[in-house]
Amino acid sequence: MRPLTLEAIDRDEVLTEAISELCGSTRAAFLRTTALGGAAMLAALTTPAEAAAEIGDVAILNFGLRFERLQATFYTQADELGTIATMAKAKRSWARTLGAHERAHVKIIKQVLGSKAEGRPSFDFGEANETDAAFTKTAVALEDLTVALLAGVTPQVHDKGLVSALFSLLTVESRHAAWARHIVGTTPAPKAFDEPKTLRQVQGAIARTRFVVRRPRTSGTRSPGFTG
Amino acid sequence: MRQLEKPDAGPQFTRGRLLWAGAAAAAGGVTIGARRGDGDSEAAQSKAADEEILNLFLTLEYVQESFYRQAVEAGRLEGELLELASAVGDQESRHVAMLAKRLGGKAKPRPRSEFGDALGSPARFRETAIELEEAALAAYVGQGGNLSRRAVGAVVTLVSVEARQAAWLRDLAGVSPAPRAADPARKADDVLGELRDKGFLA
Repeated sequence: MRPLTLEAIDRDEVLTEAISELCGSTRAAFLRTTALGGAAMLAALTTPAEAAAEIGDVAILNFGLRFERLQATFYTQADELGTIATMAKAKRSWARTLGAHERAHVKIIKQVLGSKAEGRPSFDFGEANETDAAFTKTAVALEDLTVALLAGVTPQVHDKGLVSALFSLLTVESRHAAWARHIVGTTPAPKAFDEPKTLRQVQGAIARTRFVVRRPRTSGTRSPGFTG
Repeated sequence: MRQLEKPDAGPQFTRGRLLWAGAAAAAGGVTIGARRGDGDSEAAQSKAADEEILNLFLTLEYVQESFYRQAVEAGRLEGELLELASAVGDQESRHVAMLAKRLGGKAKPRPRSEFGDALGSPARFRETAIELEEAALAAYVGQGGNLSRRAVGAVVTLVSVEARQAAWLRDLAGVSPAPRAADPARKADDVLGELRDKGFLA
């Protein structure tokens, strides 16, 4: 009897996509044709790709910078577009506080990185920050993603002072996430432990939003790619 | 043992440059040497520091767990506040279980906690819960950098949930859920002293 493979059961490639986020696409392709539960599959799954290579503190911090810039720009633009002005008072204060905090985080991380700070990428949020509903939905997803990112990368950091600093950012981002969830009427603290994500997983999630672009948007609209 | 080298030549993440973490870096109640490098004495030192810090976290979780459990039992809460007390109490139990399991035979016993008047009304409950959550958060922020990387990995996903709980409580109390761009750190002794003064920790 032929052993069952992932390819045979994963017709929509949902599992393959999940595994490639976790382990990298080369390994996912290999796993697709490997016998389910077989020794080769288990061996490949037990060592995430990132464990093989240490990521440096500067690389982690630069990714954090890119992510904080993405958030800061998202909130700042929502204010400039007038989206935040249309909100009720309590919600307006939430949106503006988060924007101010994310801008402060950008400033702080830039200062820590000094000359090692990467340049600012261009962002295109499409319609995601043009209406209250789209903005709110995206903000909730972004804040939860930040918590997962910080929970994932903080244990990778070598520098003691930097770990302390990341703890004080993690708690603030978690407050943002809880606040955002409360605003939309969902449980602010849904689980006893948050789910950490690796840098690679968060990179994948951001890539799928298409919020980071090569050049600034000049014309045209499209539907938001990011729904959480 | 694998040599953990400094990954990049620069920048130096000196305390001076980590302005926003100044308080966090200065707060360490437990002081250990640089985490990089190797050697048996350093490994032993780091293990002892982990045990001391994880026991601090365990104590804080024990106090909170008792507080929420007694608040639900007292029967004075209703609506979303009751929902919060039940959900958060359950989360604190899971935090206690995780930390106790990790510490094994080194785990400190559950302290005795008297909350008295703090459970007398929903408003007093809310106010005290916020104080407890904020104190615990400041202790976590203060000690995070003193943990080994392995221990950091074990506690980060619990610390983020504590912050979510604090924000939820604050929003219900009508105060800003996220009052600062970076959370401050407090020394372990300050936090434990405050809890003792209030009678929450025998």
